[in-house]
Amino acid sequence: MFYHISLEHEILLHPQYFGPQLLEKVKTKLYTEVEGTCTGKYGFVIAVTTIDSIGAGLILPGQGFVVYPVKYKAIVFRPFKGEVLDAVVRQVNKVGMFAEIGPLSCFISHHSIPAEMEFCPNVNPQCYKTKDEDVVIRAEGEIRLKIVGTRVDATGILFLFLF
Amino acid sequence: MVEKTIYISQSQRKPIKILKWKIREGQTVPVGHVLLLYDFVDAKTAEQRKLKSTHAGTVHKIIAKQGETINTGRTLLQLEACSHPTVMNDMCAECGADLRKEETSPTTAFVPMVHAIPNLKVSEELAQKIGKADNERLLSDKKLVLLVDLDQTLIHTTNDNIPPNIKDVYHFQLYGPNSPWYHTRLRPGTHRFLNNIQTNYELHICTFGARNYAHMIAAFLDPEQKIFNNRILSRDECFDPTSKKANLQALFPCGDNMVCIIDDREDVWSHASNLIHVRPYHFFQHTGDINAPPGLDKHEHDAEGGPMGVDLLAGVEANKSVAEQAVSDELEAGEVEQAEFEKAEIEAKDAERDKKKAESETKNAELDPEMAEAESVKAEQEEHQQVKISESNTSEKQHEKKSAKNGEDSNNSEIDKVVEKHEIKSETDKINGSSDIKIKNEAVGAEEKLENKHSEPVGVCEEEKNNEKMETDTDVKTKGPTCNGDSTVVVDREPHHIGNANGKFSEVEDTQQMNSGKTNVNNSHQKNNSCINSKLASDVKEATDSQCKDSTKSNQDINSENLIEIDDPDDYLLYLEDILKRIHGAFYEEYDKMEAGEIPDLKVVIPKVRGQVLKGCRLVFSGLVPNRMKLEDSKVYQVATSLGAEVTQDITDKTTHLVAVRPGTIKVNAGRRQRNVKIVTPDWLWCCAERWDHVDERIFPLNSRGSRNRHPPPHCSSPEHRKYPTHDKPTARKRTPSGRFMDTINPLMSFSSADIADMDKEVEDILVNESGSSSSEEENEAVPPEVQEALSEDKPTVIAEILNSSSSNEDDELGGTEDDLAMEYPRGFKRKRSCGLRKDLDEDDDDEENPYNPSPNSSDDETPSERFKRGEMDVDNDVDMEPEDTQDSDSLTPPDPEELDDKEWNRMGAELEREFLSE
Repeated sequence: MFYHISLEHEILLHPQYFGPQLLEKVKTKLYTEVEGTCTGKYGFVIAVTTIDSIGAGLILPGQGFVVYPVKYKAIVFRPFKGEVLDAVVRQVNKVGMFAEIGPLSCFISHHSIPAEMEFCPNVNPQCYKTKDEDVVIRAEGEIRLKIVGTRVDATGILFLFLF
Repeated sequence: MVEKTIYISQSQRKPIKILKWKIREGQTVPVGHVLLLYDFVDAKTAEQRKLKSTHAGTVHKIIAKQGETINTGRTLLQLEACSHPTVMNDMCAECGADLRKEETSPTTAFVPMVHAIPNLKVSEELAQKIGKADNERLLSDKKLVLLVDLDQTLIHTTNDNIPPNIKDVYHFQLYGPNSPWYHTRLRPGTHRFLNNIQTNYELHICTFGARNYAHMIAAFLDPEQKIFNNRILSRDECFDPTSKKANLQALFPCGDNMVCIIDDREDVWSHASNLIHVRPYHFFQHTGDINAPPGLDKHEHDAEGGPMGVDLLAGVEANKSVAEQAVSDELEAGEVEQAEFEKAEIEAKDAERDKKKAESETKNAELDPEMAEAESVKAEQEEHQQVKISESNTSEKQHEKKSAKNGEDSNNSEIDKVVEKHEIKSETDKINGSSDIKIKNEAVGAEEKLENKHSEPVGVCEEEKNNEKMETDTDVKTKGPTCNGDSTVVVDREPHHIGNANGKFSEVEDTQQMNSGKTNVNNSHQKNNSCINSKLASDVKEATDSQCKDSTKSNQDINSENLIEIDDPDDYLLYLEDILKRIHGAFYEEYDKMEAGEIPDLKVVIPKVRGQVLKGCRLVFSGLVPNRMKLEDSKVYQVATSLGAEVTQDITDKTTHLVAVRPGTIKVNAGRRQRNVKIVTPDWLWCCAERWDHVDERIFPLNSRGSRNRHPPPHCSSPEHRKYPTHDKPTARKRTPSGRFMDTINPLMSFSSADIADMDKEVEDILVNESGSSSSEEENEAVPPEVQEALSEDKPTVIAEILNSSSSNEDDELGGTEDDLAMEYPRGFKRKRSCGLRKDLDEDDDDEENPYNPSPNSSDDETPSERFKRGEMDVDNDVDMEPEDTQDSDSLTPPDPEELDDKEWNRMGAELEREFLSE
């Protein structure tokens, strides 16, 4: 699910950027540091919409680095258990298939794929399909899935049911 | 799959009425899934409440009916807990349970079945099911599995700086813009090989390269992902940093009966018999296998057997655009050419030095005419050498040499140079003509052509190309040398080996080689294969431009016209394809003969196919096996017998081949008297072993100089391992005593905490013993033997001693001394010694219980671990049976650690570490 929420972030700035462009630098640094990251609590930060405030910089003693607390609003994508989403299949194999929902990669186990769909390893590319070939799931195909569990590490990974 | 049954009962304080079941039997429910809607019976206002599942699992049986009133404590439904057969990142892919939480039931999924995704694991049962389906599919498709190694098998990669415009070389960076560049050259014919072989084999990549490296290479080999289809196993997924074998069981849970392997290293497969040891592909000089397993050598093969290898560094230094390639054939260069070659090398070095100097000045953009001149001289020098090899007229060589020298000296005046060039051209034209005539005269049946082109004036001498070629194929098209100043000169040639595509051993080539008796056979073979093929398009108009402009332009201009095409003589993939097809044929021939359900084992089929190669040949060796060595122990014997030949010590009536290193030995003389004995050099045998084919003996006649290749090249000596019948054993999967599949992957996984505690204790005890090892024997004897036994790390011996001591006390002393030994010697040595000691003891007091009683036919120098591997020793079972053994009963006894040699220890340690790290 997408949310537009207020978030905070601290920007650590090297003294070399001190100067008339300082705040600009803080802003660009915020974009690069924050967008595309993933946290367990808020999910993926998709885009920063507004920067609400840049607090007073605090010079770190002994280093010269300055820390700016920044408040900003961002669009985040937070997948939830039980949520139904559309995904693009990336890879199909005998154990299941991998799909992507934007930045999120998912695994769908064979078990969770409807039983009437069979794995066909011989056709190229490999796919899951029903007997009458009504429904064929192969790489680059779109599927709708339900998230059954999530794990956050470097990239969030979910498991899901089809349909 | 051990499925736990969970009963979910009504846990409300008041009776409830079930309004509606939200699940059906057979459905999988995760934790928190709504099971049913209910309401309290005595509720004043009607309200639908949801009962959520507290467990994950499959609904087995719904006991309470819809509309029924259920009292507190009554069972509502029966749920089969999820056994988590598929686990991804420690999360069950079926019920979504987080397996890192302690309260969830443990998973049985330990088999990483998908090559590139080690995080995805399935249970043994599921793995078996999938593996079986795989095997059935392969059988119905009449396919086999082929594990393909990358480095030095199909490709050769270097980190060296090389010219950017060599044909068929891919350049890439793996780790961002500032990371090192990789340059990968595909072995000639790789694409064709893969395309041809994929009809018979399901191809998997199995490499020690990093994952993104492997995937990058796979993208080059198979851009459409049709061949490998993500079946890529890389270093990141390898269980063991020095062996690829461990992964086999995970990838092929139903056994590796149908798995064939091609690799340039045997050690990483522990000399498996389903391995085809390919000749390492070596293209870039100064680079070995950049992804060799750690600890194992990454040595360059420049100095030894590596036949080809192109020194591209020189080209780089010449601003990466000089179409000069030196075929490094130091090895093959026979004695005759040695002097010439050295001269050429010296000059090349000079040229390089010049180039370096120049480079520091011109900084990578401009081309110094001097350098190019030096290059051309070098090229000419080499060419000149080739001329000599091809036995051209010596006077012409002199001419050319002279002209080359002139060219070198003449970098002062451009006009001079132009003159020189034309001179050279005319010289070479003459050479062509004369060699043609000579060939006609000799009626060899093969053509040797040598061409030299200098098609542009000095101003663009940087672009000067030397087309050198010794072609044996007559179907090669060659455009004659052109001197036309305005025209583009294109030399269009088919690579030699493609001409040979179907004929494995072109007779033409063979005869031609026969006739070039002057040079060493191997040498001439290599030489004939090696044609330096360069495509050039040099616009002579550019000559009028300034040199600087010209060179920069050509530097930046890396288009197809400027591609340097190096033909490399490697045609091994043709033979490999043939070998693989033969194996495939043999496998399915055998399969068709077998009853339904039976599957032949490639580990048996492959040695059998290899054994057909020289079937019926009776070999005698001369000068190959040292006198003091037994014939059967020699490598050459093993190579020959693995190819199916019979080897006898002396020449008999039935002898068909005499393999001799040099002429003049008694055997050679005897062989010459017998009409039907073919006398060949060992190279013939190596060639047969390399190609798995009966090579024509006439290519390898024994001549006056004999052969220097007394020892087989490393890739031919594969039958070495046949000494250890272990690896030849068929069988699908070896089971551990517990019968649990996970143990076969990693015995550490199945150690119980008690086992680990035991092991810790052992280690401590060893340390204690070691610190006390300086103590005298008397001191040791003072300790009661039982205590010593407990202290000793030598478990099987301990058991034996306990038995001994219980039967008779006289063994106590012996036990003491032996323990003493056990403490004083390093592990392997001690074991051997204790083994021997035991034997001595056994002669005294027939100790039947001793598990180390060596069987009469096993030799003394065989270590117990070897025998253990072969399964001769049933030590473990003995240990298990012992009543004294108080080990944790529900876990299996791990293979006795003492039986594993150090390498295995290291491996286990690494695995343990990995396991800890992954948690």
